[in-house]
Amino acid sequence: MKVKIDLEKCYKAGECYYNHPELFKMGEDGFPVVLHEEISDESLIKHANEAIEVCPAVAISLED
Amino acid sequence: MSEAVDIGPNIDPRIFDSEEFQRDPFPIYKALRDYHPCFHDRFHNRWVISRYWDVDGVFQDNESFDRGVYEPDGPYEFGTNHVFGPNILEYGNSNEHRRLRNIVAGQFVGQKLNDFMPMIDQISAEVIDRFIDQGEVEMTTQFSSQVPIRVISNMLGLPREDEDTFVEWYQLLIAGLGFGGEHMARGIQARNDMWDYIDPMIRERSKNPGEDLLSRICVAEIDGNRMSVEEVKGFVALLLAAGGDTTDKAIANMWYHLLYTRPDQLQDVIETPELWDDCFTEMMRFDPVVHAQFRRTTREVVIHDEVIPARGGVVLYLGAGNRDERVFKDPDTFDIRREDLHMGRENRSGRYKDGKPGHLGFGIGQHFCMGYAMARQESAISCARLMERIKNVRPKFADHPGISSPSIDSGGFRSPQELWMEFDPA
Repeated sequence: MKVKIDLEKCYKAGECYYNHPELFKMGEDGFPVVLHEEISDESLIKHANEAIEVCPAVAISLED
Repeated sequence: MSEAVDIGPNIDPRIFDSEEFQRDPFPIYKALRDYHPCFHDRFHNRWVISRYWDVDGVFQDNESFDRGVYEPDGPYEFGTNHVFGPNILEYGNSNEHRRLRNIVAGQFVGQKLNDFMPMIDQISAEVIDRFIDQGEVEMTTQFSSQVPIRVISNMLGLPREDEDTFVEWYQLLIAGLGFGGEHMARGIQARNDMWDYIDPMIRERSKNPGEDLLSRICVAEIDGNRMSVEEVKGFVALLLAAGGDTTDKAIANMWYHLLYTRPDQLQDVIETPELWDDCFTEMMRFDPVVHAQFRRTTREVVIHDEVIPARGGVVLYLGAGNRDERVFKDPDTFDIRREDLHMGRENRSGRYKDGKPGHLGFGIGQHFCMGYAMARQESAISCARLMERIKNVRPKFADHPGISSPSIDSGGFRSPQELWMEFDPA
């Protein structure tokens, strides 16, 4: 599965990378960087889903 | 003769324990920023950081600074250092802290928070109903402490008919933290009563969980284990204190500054209720409830040529960084129409698309206030609801002693002790 971030919607809240550093990190400009574009590991998918839940900008999605 | 070097005013570190500092820390903050940006306080054995970008820098650097209050190699019993019992603030930067935080963090942002808006509206209305016919209100006891504690109690899923009891316990508990002595004894009694009350609920919801926050905390698993009943109680107490007390005082600080500092902008807010959001932001910069955060170095760090050894205590004055003239123009002016401050929702990253600096009032980074979005919504909504129902609002007394922190023991939380205002029902 692919983790996508809509950078238009993203407002650098930081919830994804502070809560789920397994999957995201803070880029130089404050925008998140996805560490693993393709994920199949169950725990990473759980992190992705939790990140989707806490993102206040509704900017993260998980696609097949 | 050698040339004189201006090393600025000496700072006697005992000032940090003085009444003068509790009342008005801002001149001392300025001296710190201008002359001692990394002040080695030998009396309290710690280093004091006061400029905006230095505070930001420490918050962002998890490699060098830890939030944990324990010594990793020293004697420490979990939960002993907190009046509220064991709670997640003690876990520092660990994965355990992050997992515990994630259990509840999602409840306070985004859609989950939106779902609670009607409840915040309803609770605000009920609280206002109780005093609207009196033509006057003491804001701290009758309004600002009422709304947040009823909201959190509702989110936890406690029975609504017990809310009054809960508010009373909460007020006793907070007074106990702030004043010591007889207040302390009553506070501890209230805490024990509250814990006895909540104990069977924790056991029941561990078995038959519902949709409420208390159930969520009860059944959450960290590495396959649930929290103990004692840890759940600590978590609930922390939510009350962090989610109740801070929002309570934030609301009071906003009204204080509109009533006494900027009556002209009070008129603006009356005419344009959307400005409550900007009023909240500027309050969080100019006079936030929490002024200090504490860190410990994980390794030797150098700031402004001052060497802080590994395991050195560091105090970050958010309240000082927020008044940094290197960042904000006329920093000592309260102005809800300020153009050099990021208005609107806060970011945990401290970085904004509009390029403006934000206030430091919620901290930044790993330990950024978990309830930031809720605090803002609760404050803005409840205040707007109140303003709709009153007119000709004015201070009851011409003079006010101002915002201060009641004592060192209160954790330095700053707010007015009392705030009376008069109004005509709209």
